[in-house]
Amino acid sequence: MHKLSPALAHALAAEYVVGTLRGRARRRFEAIARADTQVAAVLAEWERGLTPMAEDVPAVEPPARVWDAIEARVAPRGADKGAKALGFWRSFGLLAGGVASVLLAAFLYLSTGPRGEPVFVAVLAQPSEPSPRMVVSMHMPNLLRVRVVKPWNMSPQQSLELWVVPTEGAPRSLGLVANSLGDTMIQIDPNDPRVQGAQLLAVTMEQAGGSPTRQPTSKPVCTGMIAPVRKI
Amino acid sequence: MSLEAAQQRLADLLARAALGDRKAFAEVYDATKSKLFAVSLRIVRERHIAEEVLQDSFVNIWNHAADYAQAKSAPTTWMAAIVRNRSLDIVRRTREEPDVDDALAARMVDETAAPPREMQDRAEAHSLKQCLAELEAEQRQSIALAFFHGLSHSELADHMRRPLGTVKTHIRRGLLKLRDCLARTGTVERG
Repeated sequence: MHKLSPALAHALAAEYVVGTLRGRARRRFEAIARADTQVAAVLAEWERGLTPMAEDVPAVEPPARVWDAIEARVAPRGADKGAKALGFWRSFGLLAGGVASVLLAAFLYLSTGPRGEPVFVAVLAQPSEPSPRMVVSMHMPNLLRVRVVKPWNMSPQQSLELWVVPTEGAPRSLGLVANSLGDTMIQIDPNDPRVQGAQLLAVTMEQAGGSPTRQPTSKPVCTGMIAPVRKI
Repeated sequence: MSLEAAQQRLADLLARAALGDRKAFAEVYDATKSKLFAVSLRIVRERHIAEEVLQDSFVNIWNHAADYAQAKSAPTTWMAAIVRNRSLDIVRRTREEPDVDDALAARMVDETAAPPREMQDRAEAHSLKQCLAELEAEQRQSIALAFFHGLSHSELADHMRRPLGTVKTHIRRGLLKLRDCLARTGTVERG
């Protein structure tokens, strides 16, 4: 990789910290700073110099639901297997609120997204495991691709069922997913009421053919937040 | 608690959070949430987006709490940088297409090898205000609008009714002068 001269490193670091370095240039500078300790040191200088000024603003109290959502998202570093299946599902009510409209926008973007490109992705993992189990991406115009990265050990009497967890109300089933390496394609209309207000995907192990109650009957085996994708 | 003691306390709590202490993490959140929420709100402007930023940032802080040990800045600075970066990512995603200072970006790619140079840790944030005061009004205004409100070059140009190129020059020259001033006062090393 090219080395940056100190003068340019300073110019870029300053604009990075001020926030005017955007888009691809911002990503590229981050990558350079990660790889080059000299650049990292320059960036740290500017952060030490400018960022404390940002705290010079009157405090604004965030609503309590933000902490509830953070708590739900930070996986315990140790064992914490106490959560009851239904308690888990209920806790998503708390996740709702503020983030909902942004994520709803991901779905609304479906109607305008370019053909072929994923318009959102969700990487699903087990709470106790850092590596992903499943990657879900929505493609135009109406195709959901569910890729199993690491299959589960389960009996043939069980099926994997994919759920969308909406801002409010009960989880909704998007269908069954094959428990094998590779893709399951699910056709779904972006205007389908099941995906309105969605913010999180989850997978449960149900009896063969799916949950008889049309609601998850167990704790999810993996979950992932939906992230909208935009071309930079 | 003095400012220094408060920062030391936060550093200790982050170290405990890195080991999985959720109570310590909750304490970090309580001590910093309202400032950090305000920091994000200035940039993203909408409460529900600032809530999302705060949420993502703290998940990030939890996941990378161990990295703080290597950071050379105060805990609040380290966290504010995380919140600012997340906020800028989000406004970029939601507000407009990215706009890049092409000349600067091109130079980043083209720059050839340069001799390494030692950086020194001589932070004196208090002199920053003096240095900002030394800038020309438009330079200062451009930098402040970008820094506090997350305005991009083109948004600044709209806001200040100046051509895009002029705004980019204001920012770049302003930051250059700022750096000279900070180098004079010892906050950043001259280079």
